Amino acid sequence: MLQAHSPLWHYLWVAPNVFLLVLALLAWRRGLQKQFPIFVIFAVVAAIEQLTVYVADILPSVTAATWWQIFWVGLLIEAFLKFALVGEIFSQVFGPYSSIAKLGKLLISGAGVVLILVAAVAAAYTPKNSTHSIVSGVHIFEQTIYMVESGLILFLFVFAAYFKLSWNRSPFGIALGLGMSACVHLATWTLMANGKFSPRHDISLIFVNMATYHACVLLWFYYLLVPHKAAQKSEALVPEHNLELWNRELERLLHQ
Amino acid sequence: MSLTLALVVAAAVALGVLLNFAVSRSLQHKQTSDAVRTISPIDVVAFRNLIDPAENEYLRRCLPPAQFRSVRRARLRAMAAYIQVVGENATALVRMGESALTGDDLQVAAAAQQVVNDALRLRRNSAVALARIYLALAWPNSEFAAERVVDRYEQLSGSAMLLGRLQNPAAAVRLASHS
Repeated sequence: MLQAHSPLWHYLWVAPNVFLLVLALLAWRRGLQKQFPIFVIFAVVAAIEQLTVYVADILPSVTAATWWQIFWVGLLIEAFLKFALVGEIFSQVFGPYSSIAKLGKLLISGAGVVLILVAAVAAAYTPKNSTHSIVSGVHIFEQTIYMVESGLILFLFVFAAYFKLSWNRSPFGIALGLGMSACVHLATWTLMANGKFSPRHDISLIFVNMATYHACVLLWFYYLLVPHKAAQKSEALVPEHNLELWNRELERLLHQ
Repeated sequence: MSLTLALVVAAAVALGVLLNFAVSRSLQHKQTSDAVRTISPIDVVAFRNLIDPAENEYLRRCLPPAQFRSVRRARLRAMAAYIQVVGENATALVRMGESALTGDDLQVAAAAQQVVNDALRLRRNSAVALARIYLALAWPNSEFAAERVVDRYEQLSGSAMLLGRLQNPAAAVRLASHS
């Protein structure tokens, strides 16, 4: 079952990307591209890129070296779009709050620099395979990307939680899916990059990656397209007793 | 192996934190009314007295250095306690303001936006002030100013009262009679 080119393997590679294209189309029809332009671009480009890599994988005429080159190009495009998407989520969540948006930008830039440095150090200590340098290069690059990506998304959640900001449904879903996918991929690519498992076990890790990505695409469907129940109007009025106390404090200040 | 293990553990912890956020988000709405109950009043006059540089200078002149450092540390700890309450109140007001943002009344929504922005600014300033207090505890002779926190707190009180008046007109009549 957990073999390369098994029916499950074909399904997990193709289905999430077809779903992602459908999601992009539905999001476009609902006008979500105005609110999340980078997410829609990401959905289209990532799906086409993955399907291209899939077709290259099953075509006998494509050599292994060519396949890895295609994979490399796709990886670079996907990495660029993912970081742009993190920026879009940041703008959606913190943009309306002018009082912390500037601080947030400063901190996320700092966090990004630190994460890149840590990822570079980790990459330097990861063993390289001289006979298959392109393969080991891909593994290390994946490890690096996912380390920075998961760190940035975690930062977004922690920063919002510190200020007790509530997320809107759509950016929350996008960030959650992206973050979950990045964390699982970080763990699996780290294990693969460091050659801790045999090739047979590496296939199992690829299945874990594909299944996680599939789950994340379904999560994006849920958060972007499934209508949620309208929140009941909150009864969180300013409590009268506290107002009186505040009034008293202000009166004392006025009478100084 | 240690690098691999560290990265895998970090990824697992990050995933756990994300899932925890996902679960807590679903409970957030229920917690809004609880957050309001956590608001505690602050004695602004006492707080101002505590951070007054003139008071500090007076104590420095009157007390022997060792005793001054001890008193200064006690005052800094009291300041930290006040600022923690200020930060918690700001957090509760962020929740409260956000819950009011969803209403249909444009005036209430504008007041709520003001409360949220003021509360976030205050929360940010409180965090910075707390960090500076802990630094000042190590060097009690250093100067420390927390006026901005108090000023922001008063500004936030004003915004919150305006929101309260818009949401519940009967509650804040006394303020209107003095303003």
